[in-house]
Amino acid sequence: MYIVGNTALYAGLLMAAYGLAANFIGIKKNSARWLESARGAVLALVLLTSVASFLLFYLLGTGQFQYQYVASYTSENLPLIYKLTAFWAGNAGSLLLWLLLLCIFTGMVVFSKEKHNRMMPYVSIVLLLNILFFFIVITATSNPFEMTDTIPADGKGLNPMLQHPGMILHPVTLYLGYVGFAVPFAFAIAALILKRMDAEWIKLTRRWTLTAWLFLTLGNMIGGWWAYMELGWGGYWAWDPVENASFMPWLTATAFLHSVMIQERKGMLKIWNIVLVIVTYLLTIFGTFLVRSGILTSVHAFNDGTLGNYFLIFMVAMLLISIYVFITRYPLIRKETNPIESYFSKESSFLLNNLILVAGAFAVFWGTMYPLFSEALTGVKVNVGPPYFTKVMAPIMFALIVLMAVCPLIAWQKAKVKRFIKTGQWPFLAGLAAAAALVAAGVEGPFAIIGLGAAVFMFAVHVQEFMFGIRARRKVTKESMFSAAWKLMRKNQRRYGGYIVHIGVAVIAVGVIASHAYSDEMLTTLEKGETARIGDFALTFKGLSERMENGNGIVAADMDISYKGKSAGTVRPEKIFYSTWPEPSSEVAIKTVASQDLYVVLSTWENEDKATFQLKVNPFVSWIWIGGFIMVFGIIVALLGGKTRKLAAVSAVNPEFVKAGVSK
Amino acid sequence: MSKNKKIVAGLIMGAAALAIMLFASMPSANSKEITISDLLQAPGQYAGEYIMTQGLLRGDSIKWDADNIRLEFEIYDEHDAVLSVYHDGIKPDNFSDGIIVIVEGFLHEEGTFEAEKIRTKCPSKYESADMENYDIEQHKKILEEQTKD
Repeated sequence: MYIVGNTALYAGLLMAAYGLAANFIGIKKNSARWLESARGAVLALVLLTSVASFLLFYLLGTGQFQYQYVASYTSENLPLIYKLTAFWAGNAGSLLLWLLLLCIFTGMVVFSKEKHNRMMPYVSIVLLLNILFFFIVITATSNPFEMTDTIPADGKGLNPMLQHPGMILHPVTLYLGYVGFAVPFAFAIAALILKRMDAEWIKLTRRWTLTAWLFLTLGNMIGGWWAYMELGWGGYWAWDPVENASFMPWLTATAFLHSVMIQERKGMLKIWNIVLVIVTYLLTIFGTFLVRSGILTSVHAFNDGTLGNYFLIFMVAMLLISIYVFITRYPLIRKETNPIESYFSKESSFLLNNLILVAGAFAVFWGTMYPLFSEALTGVKVNVGPPYFTKVMAPIMFALIVLMAVCPLIAWQKAKVKRFIKTGQWPFLAGLAAAAALVAAGVEGPFAIIGLGAAVFMFAVHVQEFMFGIRARRKVTKESMFSAAWKLMRKNQRRYGGYIVHIGVAVIAVGVIASHAYSDEMLTTLEKGETARIGDFALTFKGLSERMENGNGIVAADMDISYKGKSAGTVRPEKIFYSTWPEPSSEVAIKTVASQDLYVVLSTWENEDKATFQLKVNPFVSWIWIGGFIMVFGIIVALLGGKTRKLAAVSAVNPEFVKAGVSK
Repeated sequence: MSKNKKIVAGLIMGAAALAIMLFASMPSANSKEITISDLLQAPGQYAGEYIMTQGLLRGDSIKWDADNIRLEFEIYDEHDAVLSVYHDGIKPDNFSDGIIVIVEGFLHEEGTFEAEKIRTKCPSKYESADMENYDIEQHKKILEEQTKD
């Protein structure tokens, strides 16, 4: 086993180097045989990394503690699912996961139906460079197949915080997102090298970009949900450097998704798109560097300095390559970019959206790196906490929501103000009405109310767009309401998928604003039979109980809950004493009544009749998860949708038909 | 100047204005990261400043007052400078001897630290801990690496 695992890794290292060489020779000699051989090398890499990964799964699943990695992250009594997910609990395994995904993606690209595209050898080279880098890091610093000196009787077990369903999904989805952006990056570099300034690379990578974005979105959402359920501080986002590291590429990728539409349709923003995809890719590497290097004070730190250095060097190398290729091709791209025709058009509103998103990414970057900047300049490490981020990001997010509301109303090329006001008035009034209703209901906080009103405005615009589309379609086809709605979506999935994503964002915005502005917290020590009140909730402590489960001791507090005077069931916050872990970990209890989360943490106890609790009321947090589902659904709709080019061609004939989604 | 350039220039100016606004709001929301040794050398110097510092927890110094919800404990750094801390709040998970505690708050003149926020970090939180052979020296080394300038 030891031999198989290590052979797979070292053979992979050589194979990646060979694949690179074969691609270079193939390009130089214009030889199809060499290029075919390079494809073969990629196939071999897929097999080798699969073998290594299956082997690691097998070793973890069967508890082979003679392997250091297995002994460090699993133990005999760990449930099987967490034995397997311990695959990505440490550096070595998570790098292997990254590598596996990278190899599979590369295989999918070079064996796709575009495999004879002229860009392909260059794409393959860029991706193989990534693969080679990861093989070097794994073999040099964190080999998952290292043996222990003496075989321990049992492993050290998995950190209790990682024993949560989030562990199954969060790392994998996040990595799928991170790794996915290597593909559009590789295509962009290939197009640059070949001086191909048309939108082909964008069309070929549209699904890759969307899929990567889907997983990055999912990964961040699941991460927030996991933190909320497990960490017991009552929040879902702490602006920790590690969280920011995955938020920054998400922001730039979101900008990229929007601006490529402009290039595809109008041939504009070519330089911008290339810059965005390069930045997004570099940020994924930068994020990994931040997580692994421990240069910032974070609760997440993995603390392995050497590993961080590898990533830093790789990132700088890729940055330099990108800059070189970009600068040498810059005059050419400029010549071929079309100018924007009007200030008031969808094009310029997209550009504005892009600038805001990038400004957001920069603000997050600035705040995250500020401790290092300030240390370099003044010698004192100044950390900026959540107050900075909320202060800075709130107006940015607000601007984005307003822009999302306005953008669908603005026509391409040159919009007319009159028509804009006509279509926008009802949704705007809906937003105003929502804000007025909140004020009338006695809700306080002007900024939160403005934000909530904007979210309603944005939501209403998108609902109206659906209504207009359905109505226009029914006028032409005389279909039933449902069939019209269904076919409308089917005919233009990219557009309506995007709208569904926006609706999801509106729902999330409500959750984020309300939970930030209107949450309530208290700490209290209760004796048996005592009642604590928070918001509309009242909790009565009924005493502690003890039990054993899976070899772990559990102390639970039973509490009766009432909401507005009516009984609303019970909650059971717990502390779990893992046999493999010295300290107990809290199991949060959450009760959702009328969109308000009652969040209860059992902190400590003096005896079985007296305990200390942390209580929180978080309104509308569940809306964030619901909005996340809506977003994911919308992305999938857009992803499965075909090309809209044909429809765009019809638009010249009859705009009404396009709106109705009827092609001739 | 083409229309295209004007639009881009206008938008960039807008974005720049936004950026300036962002950074103007900066000083109100930060904490200075200072080592325990530096803090204790001149406690008066940091009066009223919001400070972040970190150190290893001394297990036998933990005092917990459930009725008043107050936590008291001591942390020390690699030069054995000891800082006594109090926190009006609950004990975080993993609060045990030798763990790294990150505290944020204010240093009072007599040298006690009022922590508004406490977080725990085990250097081996993800890199799984070996609690049997828990190595304080190793911990110190890691802390030293982190705090050295």
